[in-house]
Amino acid sequence: MTGRPSTGTMVISAVVALLVLLPAFGSDFFIDFVMTRTMMLGLAASTIVFLSAYGGMVSLAQWLIFGVSGFMIGNAVAEAGHGLKLGWNPWVAVIFALGIATAVAFVLGALSARTIGIYYLMLTLTYAVIGFLFFGQVTTFSGFGGVTGLDPPGFFLDHPKRLYYAGVVLSVIAYVTFRAVARTSFGIALQGIRDDPVRMSSLGFNVPMHRMLAFTLAGFVAAIAGVLNVWWNGQIDPTSISIGPTLDLLIIAVIGGIAHLEGAWLGAFVFVAANNYLRDLPLVDNIGITEARFNTVIGALVLLIMVLSPDGLMGIIEKVRAAGRRVLGGPTGPTTAAPEPRLRRTSS
Amino acid sequence: MTIDPPSDPLLRLRSVTVAFGGLVALAGVDLDVVQGERLAVLGPNGAGKTTLFNAVAGDIRPTGGTVEIRGVDCTLLPSRRRPTLGLARTYQKTRLFAGLSVEDNLYLAQCGKEGSHFKLWRHGREAFWRERARVAAGRVWLSDQFDVLVGDLSHGQQRQLEVGMAVVTQPDVMMLDEPASGLSRGERERLTELLTDLAAEETLLLIEHDMDVALKVAERVVVMADGEVVASGTPDEIRGDPLVQEIYLGRQR
Repeated sequence: MTGRPSTGTMVISAVVALLVLLPAFGSDFFIDFVMTRTMMLGLAASTIVFLSAYGGMVSLAQWLIFGVSGFMIGNAVAEAGHGLKLGWNPWVAVIFALGIATAVAFVLGALSARTIGIYYLMLTLTYAVIGFLFFGQVTTFSGFGGVTGLDPPGFFLDHPKRLYYAGVVLSVIAYVTFRAVARTSFGIALQGIRDDPVRMSSLGFNVPMHRMLAFTLAGFVAAIAGVLNVWWNGQIDPTSISIGPTLDLLIIAVIGGIAHLEGAWLGAFVFVAANNYLRDLPLVDNIGITEARFNTVIGALVLLIMVLSPDGLMGIIEKVRAAGRRVLGGPTGPTTAAPEPRLRRTSS
Repeated sequence: MTIDPPSDPLLRLRSVTVAFGGLVALAGVDLDVVQGERLAVLGPNGAGKTTLFNAVAGDIRPTGGTVEIRGVDCTLLPSRRRPTLGLARTYQKTRLFAGLSVEDNLYLAQCGKEGSHFKLWRHGREAFWRERARVAAGRVWLSDQFDVLVGDLSHGQQRQLEVGMAVVTQPDVMMLDEPASGLSRGERERLTELLTDLAAEETLLLIEHDMDVALKVAERVVVMADGEVVASGTPDEIRGDPLVQEIYLGRQR
């Protein structure tokens, strides 16, 4: 309502500026293995947050859509090995992969549009399991060995920083888009459906259609993240979309705070950083194989964050900000202390 | 008791029956409502008043009979098709969007009726709807809470907004399910004023336990008991009807 940007906007702008400048002083390892992955996983997790925070749908199928997109890239560009081996231009493959993955999201979204709550979670988990088994067993598209030897387009080949910047740019676009969508007729209606679908029907809205379209939009964004992932990894196999990684994405969203879009990237950063730096801690070291070690660390981390704040790290940040406001005597009130998607509209 | 069928009813119910398994909630209700009529539906708890509303608004599908709005048979039409036919209803138990502001709640009510559900850009009617939301908020005394999240409103304020959700769309038929419940005495008086001030062509169906509100606003009263219409008449007739007194106050020993 006023011309002055809010504190939240300024903090986010500062974080984006930091992300842009980061390659100037961060190590190559940090940029490539921590930050690029943070951007990809954050982008994918933001689709869970979008559906949950604005639509009231907790989806476990986002990682599947992410994977479908990756497998389609693999099938389209690979010239040897498993899959269709179409050997297409990598940019054509991107259009193909985004198209197929979005179409899959459309169909799955339509199938689950009348389901809510725990049943929605279970149904989308079912999709994830079906997808994992499909790519594992249908050797036409992959088989358990996966599709390997996939090069990104020449622009990104051997330029890990360019891939990082692609992650940053796409993340910012997705973040701004999700926030903007939430203020359109469609987005406000979606939030109405989150709060009371029965009333929305009686007001004249087609509730399943809204749910399906929101899921399709989220699927498109998850598919973009899937493309980045395959460019970064150079390969994709069905194990990477099994239940474990599927749940990891939900864990990322929950660590960050599933009611806040920003939380997706924050959660992804903590997750990836823990994965890279915390597995060599002295005590955890004794647990043997790396994967079990990592799961122990991340499990303890999730437990700690959930005990401190059910709303994840963003919830902790909100609490600190509210406490700061109380101490400094700044403006307080029920509307400003509300979680992010419930914030009052600042423009009208 | 039968009701004289007025000419060209806006709303026509013919032997509408709703059964939940073996429980018959509505046992063949006939009702005609003409344009501009103010009708109050009275009856004790469990009489089937809300079920009648649900059947008319499409929230439940009748097991038998027909519901016509402007001569269109919409018995099997889903609830989301009703607002475009000019129907708006409120709920006895508040059904609002707690995570959205008062403004956005009122905005959505208009959006639902007039389309543009999937717009991803600002459109011409947006400003008009926002302005109408502001006016409607004023009519239900929520001007000061226009930007407040509905979840942060008091119970009484939420009841006011519940009425506002119907008022804002300027429907042809407004169905209010116990709008005065949860309101203070002063707010009830203001609600009565609001309802008596409605435009003459607006049709009102009202379920209300508060006789002061119901009998002041209504021109015609229908009394229900056990899923049937047992009495009908002007407020004065109903006040004196021994059957109604028996239903409401119990049999004299």
